[in-house]
Amino acid sequence: MHTLELAGVSSGYGGRPVLHDITFKAQESAIYVVLGPNGAGKTTLFRTIAGILGPYSGEMLFDGEDLTRSREARKRISYLSHYNAIPEEMTVRGALDFYAKIEGGNADEVLSLLSLEELKDKKVSDLSQGQKKRVSIAKVFLRERDLYLLDEPTSNLDPAVSKEIRDILLRLSKDRIVLYSSHNLYEARDLGTNLILVRDGTIGYFDKISNIKSKEYRVGIRTTTDISKMVDAKLGEGGYYVLSVFTPEEAGLALKKLVENGVLVTEMRQLDNPLQDLFEDNYDQHPASTGRRVERRN
Amino acid sequence: MSSGQGAIIAKRSISLSKTYLVVGIFMALLGVLISSLSGVVGGFSTTGIPVNAANTGGLGVATALPLVSVALQVIAAITFSIPVLMLYVYDKNNGVLEYFLSLGMNQGDVYRQYLKAALILSSGLVGFEIVINLVAGLIEGVSGVLLLEVCGLVVALALPVVSFDALIMMSFSSLQKQRVGSNQPLGMAIGVLMVMPAYLVPLVVPSLAFAFDLFLAGVIVVLSLLMYLSSSRLISREKLLP
Repeated sequence: MHTLELAGVSSGYGGRPVLHDITFKAQESAIYVVLGPNGAGKTTLFRTIAGILGPYSGEMLFDGEDLTRSREARKRISYLSHYNAIPEEMTVRGALDFYAKIEGGNADEVLSLLSLEELKDKKVSDLSQGQKKRVSIAKVFLRERDLYLLDEPTSNLDPAVSKEIRDILLRLSKDRIVLYSSHNLYEARDLGTNLILVRDGTIGYFDKISNIKSKEYRVGIRTTTDISKMVDAKLGEGGYYVLSVFTPEEAGLALKKLVENGVLVTEMRQLDNPLQDLFEDNYDQHPASTGRRVERRN
Repeated sequence: MSSGQGAIIAKRSISLSKTYLVVGIFMALLGVLISSLSGVVGGFSTTGIPVNAANTGGLGVATALPLVSVALQVIAAITFSIPVLMLYVYDKNNGVLEYFLSLGMNQGDVYRQYLKAALILSSGLVGFEIVINLVAGLIEGVSGVLLLEVCGLVVALALPVVSFDALIMMSFSSLQKQRVGSNQPLGMAIGVLMVMPAYLVPLVVPSLAFAFDLFLAGVIVVLSLLMYLSSSRLISREKLLP
């Protein structure tokens, strides 16, 4: 079990703070999704935790070790930035060997992990953006770390590779802390267990995703039978019968009723994303400066 | 970062740009050619006695030419190290330096590796210059003492000048707001400016040329050390970000 604790951290560029008084404590091994619009301070937050930017004030502890002072503590962190950071004049294998010599690890293992064997003799400059991203991600896994900071790891990746990456992260998060930023709210909901919402350089929300309450639940039900007369659902988007309820429990009762009537339900899913509501509440309808409180389930 | 990383960076620099390497070799050959003309000039002396620093007190063209060529050979070494500076900028823009920082390095560690790479490349050329200086000088009948002086001065001047040039270019590059290039012309200008006295003094005061070049080398060593020690403090880590 690891703990990452930030207390009153301010950080930025050229003496101008971008992050203000950041305080949170991640004390369970899990995936923490970091959300926020462009310019909110997500990358600055990652760079500060990774030790790339020195904080102007505050304290950052990882397993009790001061990240601003301990090089050893920083070496337990892996950081994936927006930039691929791969020497493009090298082959894929050469680039991973280059980093393996610097930080340790085995290039062959990550080539296999990210299914890069076929590309290993190709020059990085000849790869597509998605392939470069895979190589960039591969370097992050050269050595096992205790804290992973991944800034939009699945951008530019096709769905199959994105899934591979998500599976790796899910495995890692069993005994490590993973901070993961994404603009894909559905991916964030599926993958993350905790949410860190960054708003104007401050923490707008920090809690479990399961604690976020939607304003309403729209449940999609796929079935071969017309169920519109059994429950209050209408055939709608994507061929689903759409049922609007106020609590997940109401959806469960509707499902029970259908089953009791002998209906074969082939799929049932929540159509709305609570993260979407949260995001819109914080950034669209109500500007960040108003600091509207996020609605939470008790 | 282990000590072998400097060699890897040097190798990467070579693959990034070969033009500067070719120009550097050409300048080195030109320098050696000028130096070896000393033997030819000495051979055509009206007295019939070869002229050299050892027996004339350093007067005459035959003595001045090899010492003038020292400056040219030093500039060849600077040219040879320019690809490392280009790589530094390329790595900064590509996020490689940011990744180095995330691995627990500080800006001093990063500078040191690129400095090592610049010294590895320029040392290769300086070694080449010494060998061809000796070979050409012996063939052309240049005084052995003068040859040793030239070779010694090339080493004493080239490596400190390359060090200073590399450090100041990395610093300048880090401070550039428009991060589009390594300011190679500026780097060359600084290098040429630093060795300019080494061009002039052999022609104006030949008897002092050797001592002056050694003094100049000492000054540049001190400047390089000061630059190296202060760069980490003067230039923040964020300047290495893309």
